[in-house]
Amino acid sequence: MEISILGYKCSKCGTIHYPNRAICRKCRNEQFTVEPLPDKGKLLTFTHLYNPSGDFDVAILDLAIVELSNGVRITGQMKIDKPEIGMKVVGKIEKVRKSGFQSFKGMVFYKA
Amino acid sequence: MKEVYVVGIGITKFSRLEYPLIEIAAYPSIMAMKDCGLSSVDHVYVANMGGSRLSHQTALGSALVDHLSLYPAGAETIENGPASGASAIKQGYMAVASGVHDVVMVTGVERMREANSLEATDFVASLAHPLAEQIYGVTLPSMAGMFTRLYMNKYGVTSKHLAMVAIKNHDNAMFNPNAHLRMPITMEGILTGPEASTNNPFVADPLRFFDMCPVSDGGACLILATKEVAKKSKRPMIRLAGVGQATDTHCVHERENPTDLPAVRGAAEKCFKMAGFKAKDVDVAELHDAFTILEIVESEEVGFFKKGEGHLALEKGYTSLKGKLPINPSGGLKAKGHPVGATGVGQAHEIVTQLRGEAGERQVKDAKTGFTCNFGGFGNNVVALAFQKEK
Ligand SMILES: [Zn+2]
Repeated sequence: MEISILGYKCSKCGTIHYPNRAICRKCRNEQFTVEPLPDKGKLLTFTHLYNPSGDFDVAILDLAIVELSNGVRITGQMKIDKPEIGMKVVGKIEKVRKSGFQSFKGMVFYKA
Repeated sequence: MKEVYVVGIGITKFSRLEYPLIEIAAYPSIMAMKDCGLSSVDHVYVANMGGSRLSHQTALGSALVDHLSLYPAGAETIENGPASGASAIKQGYMAVASGVHDVVMVTGVERMREANSLEATDFVASLAHPLAEQIYGVTLPSMAGMFTRLYMNKYGVTSKHLAMVAIKNHDNAMFNPNAHLRMPITMEGILTGPEASTNNPFVADPLRFFDMCPVSDGGACLILATKEVAKKSKRPMIRLAGVGQATDTHCVHERENPTDLPAVRGAAEKCFKMAGFKAKDVDVAELHDAFTILEIVESEEVGFFKKGEGHLALEKGYTSLKGKLPINPSGGLKAKGHPVGATGVGQAHEIVTQLRGEAGERQVKDAKTGFTCNFGGFGNNVVALAFQKEK
């Protein structure tokens, strides 16, 4: 089964929320429909985090905020050699963290 | 509403403190009681973020009442992330202003250094969104790094400006016996010289080691009371003139304009409105510089400088100890230290010390009005306080 990251679209005003919340921040409606977020976007900002915790088996963890093609923004990991603000990226869902016997999947961004 | 005054203050050194959490809370509290000559209070608020996780202790309000034999005073523990301290002061303010209590003790305390630095960072990161931020390994330094990159890109702030904040606040801390980092640093040593990249490596680029506050233990206390009580205490009359608080989205990526900190702006606006004076009237301020960039951006958002011009004011020396508006004379979180739950109370302690004229070598001349900004989350919950000296 394909896994996707879901946006939460307000059924009244259409605002897409990520992550989910119980009440729409624009119109206070309580009903949402879910839809997969697009995988393409542009790099809004990023950092190289040195010495992350042991849950990440890398010496430097690259993190980014991406503005997706539908305008929704998302935080994720990044695997890009020479990242630049504004560059086009594409997201893939991969394992992002391993904590004990638990592992977590999330968005990892690559150069488009 | 009744007027509220700060009658007693106390503080520990911010550092590594090899004492149980409750002792770190008790020491500044006893100091504050002695400062104003009161031996009983109606209510105790303890500000703390990590006691349950780092010291395996909860219900610190009740524990402090017991340790100081203050029964049957009421007691609560206030947790609002790194803004717990100013939040607790705000609770104390409301209790006295409403007439419910005449005298309240507000003590902030944190013991973080018994954890290693990765554990401490991971603990603070628990305030981030679990599914949308925490799983990726987002920490507060990484949020600050992403924010800084964008801010530099948009407003022309450089690594040199960030280093200037660090150098200024380390210089100020040299005059503060309670500061954690009492060592002068130089531009050459941390940025431009041949050893700079060794002395000052990247942590979350573009932020480096000396852009980060240290992990500290510490406690601070304010005793708040009515005007009648304050007059009897015979200490300088320092009024807690305004409290303001505002919130923003949990995830940083959801902010409409990701280089703005609207909760800082909102908290300051409410605070000044209540206080009856404006940002331009402030003589001395303590801003929440957990990362050097934050001092610059907060100085804009609270209204001291125009958006995008905080770094220019810094360059001109406007915010230095001898400048027109000294910011972080205590050394700030950067050099005084950041025991998270105690930080907001520590900021208020510094402003009251300044307004009383008791700040020694770091005294801001003729300071009559003061302001603090205590920044919770990465700007999703901010508490501002305004203080005024009365004759
Ligand atoms: Zn809506």
